[in-house]
Amino acid sequence: MAQKPKVAITWLGACGGCDMAVVDLDAGLLDVADKLDIVLWPVALDYKYQDVQALSDCSLALAIISGCVRNDEHLEIARLLRQKAGLVLALGACACFGGTPGLANFVGRQEILDFVYRDAPTVENPEGTIPQEKSLVNGHELTLPAFHEKVRAIKQVIDVDYFLPGCPPPPHLISQAINAVLAGDLPPKGSALAPRRALCDVCPRNRKKPARLEIHQIRQIHTIETDPDYCFLEEGILCMGPATRSGCGETCIRNNMPCRGCFGPVAGVEDAGTKHLSALASILRTEQYFDLAQLVETIPDPAGLFYRFTQPVSILGKAALKMHPLDKERP
Amino acid sequence: MKDYNPRIVCFSCKFGWGYLDPHKESLKGVDHWVPVACSGKIDATHILEAFAKGADGILILVCPEGDCHLQDGNFKTEAKVFLLQRILPAWGLDSRRLRVIAAMNPDGEKIPALVRDMASQIAPLGPARLFADSLAAGGESGRDSFPARA
Ligand code: SF4
Ligand code: SF4
Repeated sequence: MAQKPKVAITWLGACGGCDMAVVDLDAGLLDVADKLDIVLWPVALDYKYQDVQALSDCSLALAIISGCVRNDEHLEIARLLRQKAGLVLALGACACFGGTPGLANFVGRQEILDFVYRDAPTVENPEGTIPQEKSLVNGHELTLPAFHEKVRAIKQVIDVDYFLPGCPPPPHLISQAINAVLAGDLPPKGSALAPRRALCDVCPRNRKKPARLEIHQIRQIHTIETDPDYCFLEEGILCMGPATRSGCGETCIRNNMPCRGCFGPVAGVEDAGTKHLSALASILRTEQYFDLAQLVETIPDPAGLFYRFTQPVSILGKAALKMHPLDKERP
Repeated sequence: MKDYNPRIVCFSCKFGWGYLDPHKESLKGVDHWVPVACSGKIDATHILEAFAKGADGILILVCPEGDCHLQDGNFKTEAKVFLLQRILPAWGLDSRRLRVIAAMNPDGEKIPALVRDMASQIAPLGPARLFADSLAAGGESGRDSFPARA
């Protein structure tokens, strides 16, 4: 029998949700294991990075990487897998755009360390202990990877061949992606392995949308009872569907949650936030210009809302990363 | 910061503020000027790109309420500006660096003075650098900070 193609699955700055989505392939996972030789999968199998280091370059057919790049270890593993793999697939919102960890880029490394180890209301740390890259314990030197100034999406540190967004991506798109790689049936490099259209196009709530949508009042989903057939925007609930790529299976929408944008922008769009913002701007309505600013004031945390999953790859996010070149980040 | 002259990018609607030649004598001093046919065309992306490329302030000139040559491009751009003014502080940029004026001046004679006026008002903030504007510079606080320790 011919050798099975080798694949590595790994997580960088991740919550493990993307790995769980792979586990959710269920019986499909047996299929995958049948066709592929999994050489690394920290969440499920006991292989070591040394095993990957020992492989010859490009000997992996595919590396599936979830999570963002937040520290030196993430960076090193991303670079290692790039060297060993023919194809790299960024799996999930964190890997594709920085994801929710990317929201940390609204502050910097020092502010994060100060809060987490000193100022948070639940922290008791009278000695002011903070993690050190090197420390001596019983005569042994222990090391921790350096914590970077900012979060990066994987494509901001290595070349990425394909993207599969979502937080996490749905299992059916994961198995489609793996099968496409196996069959060599792939779109142009750099594509997202997901539909190109916006979520509204396939949303079951789109049926009851008035000819002209208008928002006069911003409302929160937990404060009202919504009609499951009505577009959220029609009720003043901010839904990111108009500018978000479809393919998620509309899980949130079907569970009475507005879209938060985890599939990232539709094909061809660079900055998701400005598109969410413009879509919203086009339907906000007040009697007077004058009241418009007041209506806008009622949106809680708009920067977090528009850039929930995409801060590091946004226009200003990228500009901010330039201020902290990757290999000079250590203070 | 003596003699500091902020770089202002001005977008204006051609219908309300003139189909003008940027090289016209009376418009000298307006260095970065983008006249567009309907202010509704000014995308939020253009505005953030301008900041990313080093603009210190952005002035947007739209038509007055009810006077949009098309339908309501002015209203939509105003809504974009108000939304952008709310997200800029999260990036450490003072919201006063983005301004919209709804008026009409078909020969555009007032544009240089409006640009100068904005420049002098934001000059005390210094050059726009991400995550740099703060209370110390006389601006609003950068962003919602972490909750304070009880
Ligand atoms: S994309 Fe979502 S599920 Fe995947 S690692 Fe990031 S936070 Fe977790
Ligand atoms: S805005 Fe949201 S609820 Fe409305 S159609 Fe689009 S995805 Fe569906």
